[in-house]
Amino acid sequence: MAGLIKDITTHRDLLSMLVARNIKIRYKESALGFLWTLLGPVFLILIYAFFMKVVMKFPIPMPVLVSGIFVWQYLAMCLGDSSFAIIGNANLVKKACFPRLLLPLSIVLANFVNFLLSLLVMAVYLLIVGPHFGSIAWLPLALITHLALCTGVSLGLCAMNVFLRDVQHLTGIFTMAWFFLTPVVYALSDVAPFIQKYPLLGPLYFMNPMAGILALYRTALLGSPLPELSLISLSMLVSVIIFVAGLAIFQKLQPRFADEL
Amino acid sequence: MSTIAIQVEGVSKRFRLRSAGGNTLKSLVMDRFRSGADTSRELWALKDVSFTVEKGTTLGLIGANGAGKSTLLALLAGTMMPTEGHLKTHGTISSLLELGAGFHPDLTGRENVFLAGAIMGLTREQMNRRFDAIVEFADIGRFIDQPVKHYSSGMYVRLGFAVAVEVDPDVLLVDEVLAVGDASFQRKCLRRMAEFREQKKTMLIISHDLNTIQTVSDQILFLDHGRVLGHGAPSQVIGQYETFSRDQVSSDRRREWGTREVILTGAQFLNEAGQETTRVTWGEALTIRLHYDAKTPVGPSVFGYGISDEQGRLVHGNNTQIEAISIPSLSGRGTMVLTLPSLNLAKGTYLFSFSVHSADHQVNYHRLDHAFAIGVEATKSFEGLCYMPCEWKQEPSTAQP
Repeated sequence: MAGLIKDITTHRDLLSMLVARNIKIRYKESALGFLWTLLGPVFLILIYAFFMKVVMKFPIPMPVLVSGIFVWQYLAMCLGDSSFAIIGNANLVKKACFPRLLLPLSIVLANFVNFLLSLLVMAVYLLIVGPHFGSIAWLPLALITHLALCTGVSLGLCAMNVFLRDVQHLTGIFTMAWFFLTPVVYALSDVAPFIQKYPLLGPLYFMNPMAGILALYRTALLGSPLPELSLISLSMLVSVIIFVAGLAIFQKLQPRFADEL
Repeated sequence: MSTIAIQVEGVSKRFRLRSAGGNTLKSLVMDRFRSGADTSRELWALKDVSFTVEKGTTLGLIGANGAGKSTLLALLAGTMMPTEGHLKTHGTISSLLELGAGFHPDLTGRENVFLAGAIMGLTREQMNRRFDAIVEFADIGRFIDQPVKHYSSGMYVRLGFAVAVEVDPDVLLVDEVLAVGDASFQRKCLRRMAEFREQKKTMLIISHDLNTIQTVSDQILFLDHGRVLGHGAPSQVIGQYETFSRDQVSSDRRREWGTREVILTGAQFLNEAGQETTRVTWGEALTIRLHYDAKTPVGPSVFGYGISDEQGRLVHGNNTQIEAISIPSLSGRGTMVLTLPSLNLAKGTYLFSFSVHSADHQVNYHRLDHAFAIGVEATKSFEGLCYMPCEWKQEPSTAQP
């Protein structure tokens, strides 16, 4: 672990350049450029708002939907990009020697920069539509847990995809299922009655780290009631486990990357 | 302080080969069922390789494609791990394994230069100091702020080379740089590499251009199928390599057939001094002693020979019948002596074929096609495969003074 931190600090110039590269390349030669970071989620929100609220008459408040989509989008971007973190840089991996960890990490961080900007936009939106902010103190905890989860998942996926290209296809399907298991386009209060009825369902539901992370964001930004701390802690614990597991998988597989590419 | 820059001890590298389908769940599952076939899916790119490189010297790596040269450089650069053995390198390493390999097509030359520098472990400040020198060496002017996808392949390679050398490493690894770029850039590269040697830096070079590698290297390592076949002074190891590849060529093209009533048991190639050799010099006499064994006595026979180039194209052929040498019968062991008084072949490798057949061409007793490879050294560099004796004379000028 200490070695890893040293790797990252001695190569921080490289890391920041890779992050900048990832951000630049994503929007190269598109007229709207960086705006797409926001336009993607905005259109997603409009589509969901139309079908959920207008067609299906599902009473989801807009701020809940907006926060759900923006927060989810960060994980979704990492899931989509990370499969290619190593195989998309095969030339670099085969020809140059540097900590391979920087490749997935730079993707997670580039998406994190995008996410922070979209949080700013969301803050402006929330100020306009009016509901008072919640207990902002929960925000750092939400961000850190979210970052740890995205990092862990990305490290594991990019390493496994080098050896097994099925990973990138499975990820797509898995992302979809995860989306609906997470209270993105519905509020936690919509599942609360079920959790009360079947006490075991609560811990099971919060084993999905995104459930707890999203609850933290909504508590911080919308003032939604915070679920039981034991459930939140469970989500955080699972995030940490995923982070450690992802890192372990990556470190185990990375010596053989160049052989496989 | 140690004087050794690179130390390689008993290094082996194994690759696992995958089926053509690549890495998919299906192949993974199928491979589980097909256990036992495992060893055929392995490739030892390097096997028990050991050598050291002294600081300030240049080691040239030679060998056919697939010999393991590039794998060796990848191990030294640290992008791959050896399966067995140890490698030790002292000082910073810059690798030119593939020029501009890390460049991203959508980024500008400037952005790529800084990124490449960071990959090699330099800070932004260090790169700032070197930037002008890099642009100047690469000679790409205002293109430096264009995305590299708009570069010509020459510009791409020049920028890659410039970055790698200006990073100023202690050890420079160079893979086939000299094969790319135009002549003037190649001269520039060679000059830069000479400067590098003067600064007492260590280099490892891969090249198929034997002349160049002989001039720039202090030592040569000759690899074949992952094993070290030769290591030492350039001229000696390169000679060994040339002999080796000649034998490879002839064993690849060698064909043999016939009724075997008479068999050709061997051929000795003798130079002017009467010594057996596989390397002869243009213009000198070559004597070939062709041994045969007529197990079944046969009637009127003909011996023939052919000389082909490395691609198997016939350069010249002749036989005893054409030269009106009559051989009424053959029985038992014997030797035919063929003398070529002046070998008029251009520099290169040639394959000799021999045959013995009946005088009416109905029965082919034994034929050895492309069986013997002979290297020819030429002091005269004429055009084409063969030399024709010629005389040039200038007639006295008729113009009035």
